[in-house]
Amino acid sequence: MEKLDKILPIVEKPARYIGMELNSVKKDLNNINVKFAFAFPDVYEVGMSHLGLHIIYNLLNKEDDIACERVFAPWPDMENGMRREGIPLFTLENKVPINEFDFVGFTLQYEMSYTNIINMLDLGGIPIISEDRTEEDPFIIAGGPCAYNPEPLWEIMDFFVMGESEEAFFEITEKFKKWKKESKSRDEFLREVCLIEGVYVPKFYEVSYNDNGTVREFIPKYNNVPSKVKKRIIKNLDNVYYPDKLIVPYIDIVHDRVPVEIFRGCSRGCRFCQAGMIYRPVREKKVDTIVRTAEELILKTGYDNVSLTSLSSCDYSQLENLIKILMKKFEKDDVGVSLPSLRLDSFQLDVIQEIEKVRKTGLTFAPEAGSQRLRDVINKGVTEEDLIRTSTYAFSEGWSSIKLYFMIGLPTETDEDILGIKDLSYKVKDLFFATPSERRKGNLRITTSAACFVPKPFTPFQWVGQNSLDEFNRKISLLRNSIRDKKVTFNYHDPKLSYLEAILARGDRKIGKVLIRAWEKGCKFDGWGNLFKFDKWMEAFKEMNIDGDFYALRERKTDEVLPWDFIDIGVSKKYLIREYEKSLKGELTKDCRLACNDCGIKESFSGGVCD
Amino acid sequence: MPVKHTEGFNPHLKFSIGAPLSLGISSDGEYMDVDLERKVSIDEFIKSMNKVLPEDIRIICGKYVEDKPSLSSVIQWSYYKIEFKIKEELTEDEIKKLMKDYLNCDSIEFVKERKKKGRLQQKIENIRPQVGNIVLKNKEDRIIVLDVLLKTSENGNLKPKDFLSSFIDFYHLSLDDYCVNIHRIDMYGEKENSIFNII
Repeated sequence: MEKLDKILPIVEKPARYIGMELNSVKKDLNNINVKFAFAFPDVYEVGMSHLGLHIIYNLLNKEDDIACERVFAPWPDMENGMRREGIPLFTLENKVPINEFDFVGFTLQYEMSYTNIINMLDLGGIPIISEDRTEEDPFIIAGGPCAYNPEPLWEIMDFFVMGESEEAFFEITEKFKKWKKESKSRDEFLREVCLIEGVYVPKFYEVSYNDNGTVREFIPKYNNVPSKVKKRIIKNLDNVYYPDKLIVPYIDIVHDRVPVEIFRGCSRGCRFCQAGMIYRPVREKKVDTIVRTAEELILKTGYDNVSLTSLSSCDYSQLENLIKILMKKFEKDDVGVSLPSLRLDSFQLDVIQEIEKVRKTGLTFAPEAGSQRLRDVINKGVTEEDLIRTSTYAFSEGWSSIKLYFMIGLPTETDEDILGIKDLSYKVKDLFFATPSERRKGNLRITTSAACFVPKPFTPFQWVGQNSLDEFNRKISLLRNSIRDKKVTFNYHDPKLSYLEAILARGDRKIGKVLIRAWEKGCKFDGWGNLFKFDKWMEAFKEMNIDGDFYALRERKTDEVLPWDFIDIGVSKKYLIREYEKSLKGELTKDCRLACNDCGIKESFSGGVCD
Repeated sequence: MPVKHTEGFNPHLKFSIGAPLSLGISSDGEYMDVDLERKVSIDEFIKSMNKVLPEDIRIICGKYVEDKPSLSSVIQWSYYKIEFKIKEELTEDEIKKLMKDYLNCDSIEFVKERKKKGRLQQKIENIRPQVGNIVLKNKEDRIIVLDVLLKTSENGNLKPKDFLSSFIDFYHLSLDDYCVNIHRIDMYGEKENSIFNII
């Protein structure tokens, strides 16, 4: 590690690479049966904010014969030093090269992190293509939300795990231990593991295409390979493992607080949202479980803030009760409670009042669309009254900074809808100045943010064509020129990045080759503005003779075979089509906790509020 | 540990580290002030803290100081061991002469860079008064080890990296950038022209 000591003093934030944090687990790898490297394909600060990492890290390390160590994408300055000194990519705990592990598991949180995955494999001395790996190489696997369209990574991953893997992990490690003793081939292990529910081994399936480029057929190559892969869920969240301690980083990470999960899934049915569909059915944790977990984590980490995480925290059925109990326990210790993911329509004023007694965090809301008509199309049941009511309350209680999130490029969108974004922002500004001056505090800061809509698999909008770059740019200019007030800051996402995201999100196997070529041309950390090389990506598409527009801009017919149709998420295609048709008419679908909308989840899965 | 919190909007722990190290420097002599709500035995404090601190950070001793002056006002000097590699071939005698010439100067000008509000500010300063002493600890080929006493205070502070740059520039030597190792041996206060141990 002398070589490492030479590089660390000259890179940015060397603490990204040293490990040794409180609650990190360093085992003697010689006494371990299964060595698992958890790989987050972005930089340390981003990866350490991922709750999934903490859950899997502690879940696996709880077992005496399993070791889980972490590896993140080294920043380019570190990568240059490593290549120069001949240091292969290593895990933080034992500083062991990742190619000495049994498994390297990537979490797929964002499509634009895929080039980092390839880069990490290359830096780790592991063949990028699954076919090229030998019995000496680790099994390269992946999970997470983007795994619900795994096809662009089909050649790189040995297998994927769909859904919540707390239980599936041990089924895989048990098979691995048996396989290791029997000294069989890699393929034999893969044949074994594909029988586990939720596991998808891409090489065991053959994909054929129609002349127009769409998928014709997706069929298993062997008899006992399942034709459909069903996602895994944890039925009872009160019984499932949740960590009682978390690694405490030495540097500032994106979220510096204790995340406590309160429920999984979402019943709102917003039509653009993939998470709302893939994490069904809604399953809640009991108040006791949550309180116990929060207390334990605060004690073992020393953090002074608990974040109640879920897809829509105000929808937790026992929220008031939970907050009251938590505040009672934590107030005297100066521990704050924060509620991210607030909805404007279920924003409970008294709940917020309770929380802000300790510390005031900023407020963020996502109306998503600028007009009621468009909000109805996307089924985001939030009205202007909700926004007015909430902003009025917030300003009179002393908040002066509000973030508003919107999307542009939504289906059926008109310029009127776009300008509605400016109208709403201005309305909020007016509300601040309408608040009596004795009650309002500080200088008003409104941040209006517009993301470019990317249609995602397994949503009612999975057939929609994305707006072209010209359209996005025109709309951004329109909005930017109309927002002239100094108190409103307008941010927008790079349409070029969103275009690529759209291609990868709904890509098929052919995209895999473009991805590898883009990496070969030096693309990595694509999501980081100053490192994004759009021109290189476009060259890669040209060289591989693939038209990106086919994947991003094309509107699909509902009878088309989609590359991810072989995955069973419980929610039926019939339901998604129904929702798509309703959206075009601007018809709302109610929260399914109020009345079942027959999404199909009940047929394949049990557990949670649907029972 | 029953640490006091500050009052106000965003309460945080009341403790301060004396003249904190820059990134990349190791140390055997660091000092910290901590305000407690109630007295705990020093042994208990040290034992409990060492249990949770990383292996390479140890609390060695502690002392209660009721309302004595703040750490940052007491600390005046830092003693560093600086190991570096030069590209030139020099004998031990040549280096010793270099050191003597350096210390014999009344004034040595150096451009200190500081980041203020995101912008790089440059200031020319006479750093000679901030160099207390230089001792040649070891020389092996082109690797030199110097022990240096440098000013560490609110009104005059010399970073070891800056001292090294100034020393190298003094005789127009060249540094092998990847082979610099800095270690703080200890820190001292000053009274009537002599240094004393902090604790």
